[in-house]
Amino acid sequence: MPVSACQTDLQQPISEHLLSLLEAAVSLEKWPIAKLISLFEANTEQGFIQRHQLMAYIQQQPKLASRRAYIVGVTGAPGVGKSSLIGELCLQLLKQQPGAAIAVLAIDPSSHNSGGALLGDRTRSLFPVGEKRLFFRSQSSALDLGGLSRKTFQVTRILQYLFDYIVIETVGVGQSEVEVAKLCDHSFFVMQPLAGDQLQFIKSGIMEMPDSFIINKCDEQQYAEQSLQQLEASLRTTRSLLKEGEESVIPPVFLSSSVTKQGFKDLADYITGLSVNEGNRNNTSNKENYFIAKWVRYLYGEYGYNIYINNVANKVDGSMSYEQKQLLFKQSIDNKNSLISVPNQ
Amino acid sequence: MKNKKPHLIYDDQGKAVSDRPWIFRTYAGHTNVWESNQLYRSNLAKGQTGLSIAFDLPTQCGYSSDHEIAKPEVGKVGVPVNSLDDFHVLFDQIPIDKMNVSMTINGTAMWLLALYIALAEERGIDISTLKGTTQNDLIKEYLARGTYIFPPEDSIRLIVDMYEYSLQHIPDWNASNICSYHLQEAGATPVQELAFALTTAITVLDAIKERGCFSAQEFERCVGRISFFVNAGMRFVEELSKMRAFVEMWDEITRDRYGIKDPKYRRFRYGVQVNSLGLTEEQPENNSWRILIETLGVTLSRKARCRALQLPAWNEALSLPRPWDQQWSLRLQQVLAYETDLLEYPDLFDGSHVIESKVKDLKEKAYAEISNIIDMGGGMAAVKNGYMKSALVKSQSERIDRLAKGQQIVVGKNKWLEGLPSPLVSGDDGGIFKIDVNSAQKTIESLKNSRRSRDAQRVAESLAVLTADAEQGNNLMPASIECAKARVTTGEWSATLRKVFGEYRPPTGVDGQAMEITTNRGGVQNKINRFVEQYGYRPRMVVGKPGLDGHSNGAEMIAVAARNAGFDVIYFGIRISAAEIVHSAIEENVDVIGISLLSGSHNEIVDQLSAELNKAHADIPVVLGGIIPQADIANLTAKGIKRIYTPKDYDLMMIMDDIMDVINEHKLSPCG
Repeated sequence: MPVSACQTDLQQPISEHLLSLLEAAVSLEKWPIAKLISLFEANTEQGFIQRHQLMAYIQQQPKLASRRAYIVGVTGAPGVGKSSLIGELCLQLLKQQPGAAIAVLAIDPSSHNSGGALLGDRTRSLFPVGEKRLFFRSQSSALDLGGLSRKTFQVTRILQYLFDYIVIETVGVGQSEVEVAKLCDHSFFVMQPLAGDQLQFIKSGIMEMPDSFIINKCDEQQYAEQSLQQLEASLRTTRSLLKEGEESVIPPVFLSSSVTKQGFKDLADYITGLSVNEGNRNNTSNKENYFIAKWVRYLYGEYGYNIYINNVANKVDGSMSYEQKQLLFKQSIDNKNSLISVPNQ
Repeated sequence: MKNKKPHLIYDDQGKAVSDRPWIFRTYAGHTNVWESNQLYRSNLAKGQTGLSIAFDLPTQCGYSSDHEIAKPEVGKVGVPVNSLDDFHVLFDQIPIDKMNVSMTINGTAMWLLALYIALAEERGIDISTLKGTTQNDLIKEYLARGTYIFPPEDSIRLIVDMYEYSLQHIPDWNASNICSYHLQEAGATPVQELAFALTTAITVLDAIKERGCFSAQEFERCVGRISFFVNAGMRFVEELSKMRAFVEMWDEITRDRYGIKDPKYRRFRYGVQVNSLGLTEEQPENNSWRILIETLGVTLSRKARCRALQLPAWNEALSLPRPWDQQWSLRLQQVLAYETDLLEYPDLFDGSHVIESKVKDLKEKAYAEISNIIDMGGGMAAVKNGYMKSALVKSQSERIDRLAKGQQIVVGKNKWLEGLPSPLVSGDDGGIFKIDVNSAQKTIESLKNSRRSRDAQRVAESLAVLTADAEQGNNLMPASIECAKARVTTGEWSATLRKVFGEYRPPTGVDGQAMEITTNRGGVQNKINRFVEQYGYRPRMVVGKPGLDGHSNGAEMIAVAARNAGFDVIYFGIRISAAEIVHSAIEENVDVIGISLLSGSHNEIVDQLSAELNKAHADIPVVLGGIIPQADIANLTAKGIKRIYTPKDYDLMMIMDDIMDVINEHKLSPCG
């Protein structure tokens, strides 16, 4: 369904129903949050309009939804224990900050054949039923390259006002590290002790993206130490090659074990420390611009991207909503070619 | 000794003899210890020669009958056992020193063996006379049956503890029973059955060897105690060949891998329950013939004849069998063993080129798969990485696909569907067994009495020793026997070890599934495409398996089929409470909840589910699949269940298509 909305649609006042959903979501009611997420995922005209209305309303009433989530990305190959790690990390964060609220967004790949997806759900099993401070949602990657879905960014737009932390879990497939780094304020790459293949990953240069590393499943001290030394040595080599001339700074490496429950306190402390400093956050406006450019390029290729850069990028400003920017692009491309219809996401 | 005829069996003195029949068993146990004791005594009076005990799910999963998760399941699929007091009732007037007793028990096998030993000691029976088997095959629990509790390493340790203790104290006890039975029920091909079961045996023996607790001679005897529990399906010539392959491969593996010299200890000893998977809900009387034919596969070839046999009942696809149904199956065994001349001949298939070649083919493929798994790191590695589980779910889906396409014929199910109404199911009880819903109360009362009358100090002390022994790596049998005598409960014993070992969640069979189902996908895909266009997202479904029943492969097949149809599917394994399923459904904002139930506790679990949905004010349609008696369907529909799928509905894409109708109807209703 194409964007056929116009500025007047966006200016309609927010409905009572939507407003009551938002108010309930702010007080961490599960069902309303779940519905709002779906609204940010939906590729419909109505979704497009309501997303704008919600974001505009939150801007006007900054006191209504006052949380500002720190967004953490967790990537790594299948089987390295990301889900259990995230479960333990969330419980630890809550222990240290009982007033905090955390949303976990887990992304699994879609089938190329049917478009459907099997969404893993191991993390939830660690969360007590009825715990309002923890919210878990699965998302299919759709068929986007890069492990994240277009919907992922959309959903963080609303969740960031409802929670103090958002944790995004994806399978590391190379390209996704770039996406995760753009979307998240801080990204972790998780690996297992003595995982030679992942060291190859590092050497191949994909690995400059993660901000920090976690060696998980460090159930045995000896392997843990050995892996730590190997990883640090590899990082030193890689980073010095990448940044020739600069002094190489090795990113932090954490050791953790879901079996012995070790390492989570350090990890939680570290994340808390990062979150209190505004300088450790990605700029929202830059983020939006990145994802709108990605959207344009994905759907219209270089042709659309050039139109965006030349006719739209210079006109957008910080006060515009994502939808207003989309609309601006739509008007611009309509002028060029009235036959192209513009999807909502 | 001259003039021996090849068609006769001779004894050591050269006299022509007949074989003794195999042990006749009936897998039985239900309601409570009083009812089950009655049942065992009447079965023995009918000529049954061994006992095969079915325990209820709470007992199998390590919960006492009054635990919240246990309540819907008490006495449903077997007998509940909470403490030694229950065992005294269960075996009342049954001569356990003369009886061969097989217990289908796994996660809590050590506990039930400890209870049995404590019972013998309190009765003043020499425990070295005890004969029987604890099933205790945890690998197939992780793969197919789901009553595991502890992580793989700890489970293997308990198994090895039991072998060590048994060899020294109860030499005729089979501490574990390697099962290929459940693998076939879960969809395994004959090659997978051979390979996975033998891999399991290798895993156990390797662990025993690694502990080094036996002398070379003791180890020989220990290998001789490894027994198997096998399945037999409708392709009875192939099944017969499979049994011969098992015999030959076990002889070769014990000789070549473990250097066992005495052929007696290399013998493949096995019991059988024939296949229930192929029994149909449609025209259920046909199942009687199926059971007979399946029996031939494990009895015809003398070289590969089973030691003990238990048969399902003709109406197993409808519900749990009644005593009469079980008697009918027992009679089949008696007719075959005593009315025919089968037991008068040596092996009928020696020298058959056809059988020889078939056996060779099965063996080659099975050996290839075994070495594949060993290269992967062995049986435990192939559990943890989900390899074997995924292979089973794939085979099962392929079987279903063949049924749906009519490539595999099942009479009355996908061919010759028209039939006259069966008088067998028209009695007052509809031909099915019903458990008195109030019977659990008697069990719970008895549990309370045991707790009241026991010595609290002795309980605390025995549990403390159990914890310490578990932490220090000591053999846990002595501590468990003392716990039994102190009247520790099933829940307490299990909870104590859960604290030390933790509880395991294995990979689900849906991980990494590449299965494709193509039948009639067009219809459902069109519906899904229209849905995506209209609502701007893919239809979302939670597939849940609430309660303690762990036969998860059906639910996993549904999950994979839904993904292949184009749904976004949330699936998260077994032993999930109704509250957890509803909680997930809400957070995920799904369009439909799909529930799989096989244990007969659907009424109770549907009530729990409805209560949770109401509490959350969430209006999400629920569909149900599993073994649901016709008589319960109206009641479940009245409770708001939108659709009920039974084994009759084997075309997965038709189910998906129908679920899309449920979703679309709901979207159009005022609350959607």
